Amino acid sequence: MTAIEQPAPHLYDEMLCSEGVHAHYQAYLRWLENTPDATLEQKRREADTLFRRFGITFNVYGEEEGTERLIPFDLIPRIIPSSEWNHLELGLRQRVTALNRFLHDIYHDQEILNAGIIPAEQVLTNQQFQTAMLGVDLPGNNYIPITGVDLIRDSNGEYFVLEDNLRTPSGVSYMLENRKMMMRLFPELFLAQSVAPVEHYPNLLLETLQSASDADSPCVVVLTPGRYNSAFFEHAFLAQQMGVPLVEGADLFVRNGCVFMRTTTGPRQVHVIYRRIDDAFLDPLAFNPDSMLGVPGLLSAYRDGNIILANALGTGVADDKSIYPYVPNMIRFYLDEEPILNNVPTWVCRREEDLSYVLDHLEELVVKEVHGAGGYGMLIGPKANRDELNKFRQLLRDNPANYIAQPTLCLSTCPTMVSEGIAPRHIDLRPFVLSGSEIKLVPGGLTRVALREGSLVVNSSQGGGTKDTWVLEGNPC
Amino acid sequence: MKLSIDHVTDFTYDTEVTHSIQYLRLTPQSSAGQQILQWHLDTPGNVHRTIDTYGNVLHVCTVDQPHQGITIRAQGTAEISDTEQPENDRRIPPEVFLRTSPLTETSDAIREFTRGFRPTNEQVQPDQHQLIELMDALLERIPYRSGMTHVQSSAADAFAQGFGVCQDHSHIFIACCRWLGIPARYVSGYVHAGDDQHIASHAWAEAWVENAWYSFDVSNGLSHANHHLKLAHGIDYLDASPVRGVRWGGGAESMRTYALVDQVDRRASQQQRHQAQRQQEQQQAQQ
Repeated sequence: MTAIEQPAPHLYDEMLCSEGVHAHYQAYLRWLENTPDATLEQKRREADTLFRRFGITFNVYGEEEGTERLIPFDLIPRIIPSSEWNHLELGLRQRVTALNRFLHDIYHDQEILNAGIIPAEQVLTNQQFQTAMLGVDLPGNNYIPITGVDLIRDSNGEYFVLEDNLRTPSGVSYMLENRKMMMRLFPELFLAQSVAPVEHYPNLLLETLQSASDADSPCVVVLTPGRYNSAFFEHAFLAQQMGVPLVEGADLFVRNGCVFMRTTTGPRQVHVIYRRIDDAFLDPLAFNPDSMLGVPGLLSAYRDGNIILANALGTGVADDKSIYPYVPNMIRFYLDEEPILNNVPTWVCRREEDLSYVLDHLEELVVKEVHGAGGYGMLIGPKANRDELNKFRQLLRDNPANYIAQPTLCLSTCPTMVSEGIAPRHIDLRPFVLSGSEIKLVPGGLTRVALREGSLVVNSSQGGGTKDTWVLEGNPC
Repeated sequence: MKLSIDHVTDFTYDTEVTHSIQYLRLTPQSSAGQQILQWHLDTPGNVHRTIDTYGNVLHVCTVDQPHQGITIRAQGTAEISDTEQPENDRRIPPEVFLRTSPLTETSDAIREFTRGFRPTNEQVQPDQHQLIELMDALLERIPYRSGMTHVQSSAADAFAQGFGVCQDHSHIFIACCRWLGIPARYVSGYVHAGDDQHIASHAWAEAWVENAWYSFDVSNGLSHANHHLKLAHGIDYLDASPVRGVRWGGGAESMRTYALVDQVDRRASQQQRHQAQRQQEQQQAQQ
């Protein structure tokens, strides 16, 4: 096997360390060292063919033909020891519980605003805050059945929450397909080690969605914006895995306060919509009037309690980057606990003193749009040239409230197969948290990898790839 | 003053519509300022009554039989208080009405215009009298003239145009208030005016000053709504619109609406009848 390029000494590497290799990677590394290059190369081509044949693709916005593209899949897994995962899981449960409490609170008594923990105006005038949710009671007070939390690790290996995705987090289909692929290509690895299974995720998701409704045998559907959406593959995949209908807005209609699906045998009442459409497009009679994607009248049925939306309307206010800095205090306020997972220190540019700090230290910081997603509209100070820095200085001065800034975190690296051989590349982790009558997680999540050398942008829309994520059960031997 | 209202909205389509659904905010509610004596709403199809985000009565009307037209008629009588009755309505936190929307966003020109009404002492919020000055200045700057703007025009569009109707006046006034830090909301309803220039279907604004909602009818230069019957309020026109619908099929649409507002507690000889008709030929994309 070709040598593995050594990681940079100032970064945390998931596999290699100054003593050689982390204990939980020992068995895998032994296997890797004994596997000929030609075999790996052949497996890589095999994976490519299979992914293409199964049609696991995503669309990239801003590219000419709205092209379908394969997300590059890396053969080297990201491995997490169970002790580490247990800690993460506790932290995720705590965080999601607090975020859900926050959502219920701001749409009801607003205790956190009255207590002055978060400025009321910042929540009430946030564009993601949905006035329509005020006073609306949801079964089990459950706003966020599906959460995808983005985690990164700093140079000491400490985990940080980078982002809470509470709207329509995507990527879980890649988690499932990556595992299937790895088991197909390398069955011997799964015999030698006890890797925690993830393939029951669709069952858990269906249970979670069904439990969100009070109906006896609730009818669940997946609502997609359609085939041109970047995550259409995932919508179709999850519907098929759960065995529920995949619908577009035009397949549903509202009558007598309830939502129905048009079927060949006549209308059928729908109880739960796993919607992969943003709030603004859900009901053209209530929100964006130009939306052709949604279901006219849906908001009236929703407010009357006759349909469940997963996730609820108006959850975006809790994962908004301007609210993110307050999450640790939410945990203290609602749960009376100290946060288990760290937040990344964040400067909120709407605060004058934060803005002036950011302007003075722009070349050290990452600047992000408050409402941005997918790695668009951000500045990575240390990698930016003079023009880009000046452009952002101007943007910050013109509209400070639109931006936050964070220190450049040295994301951890993981050895990855690249054209030059095996080299360290930056990664993050998106575990998926399902909240129903109880909170459930499948161990691990989606590991995204920035394939370009030195790049910190892991988003698939910006050339990122993915890895299978293993949580090892029991202690590594 | 006792008013009787007869409001008909009539849609006809070039070709058959297979399915349509409307959000109707055509049912006024009794409050300190208005007492609803009787009211009747007549619509086709399946009608479901509920309460919307802002506490307005909302009828959701679904017609799922093929049709080539829809007629909606609201009729009733109401007693309007002679004096303004500002309401301390906190069902929705007033701060929510600081939110902007595409229709009520300020432009550079609107901010420039509003700057003069900002109190010199930043700790003090403008009071009702300062908002009346703002309202008067706004009507002077943007005189009432129909046909210059359309139903989708934003505050910024109308301000740039230099003319507007009640919807535009309300949107601009709301944009100014919110920019000054004063919660403001859009009101749709009817007015019984002294002349025939304005159609009886009307829009005005309410602003939250001194812990209550005060009315500002910019188009009529009135700081009290004692000739007004309120139907609904919201962030902007789209939220408070009396009729908002979507349909499948139908091709081009023509909409005819008339609202008749009569004063019924005076003698017949003193009755003033106000009738207005608005015809709108709208080429709408087939949905």
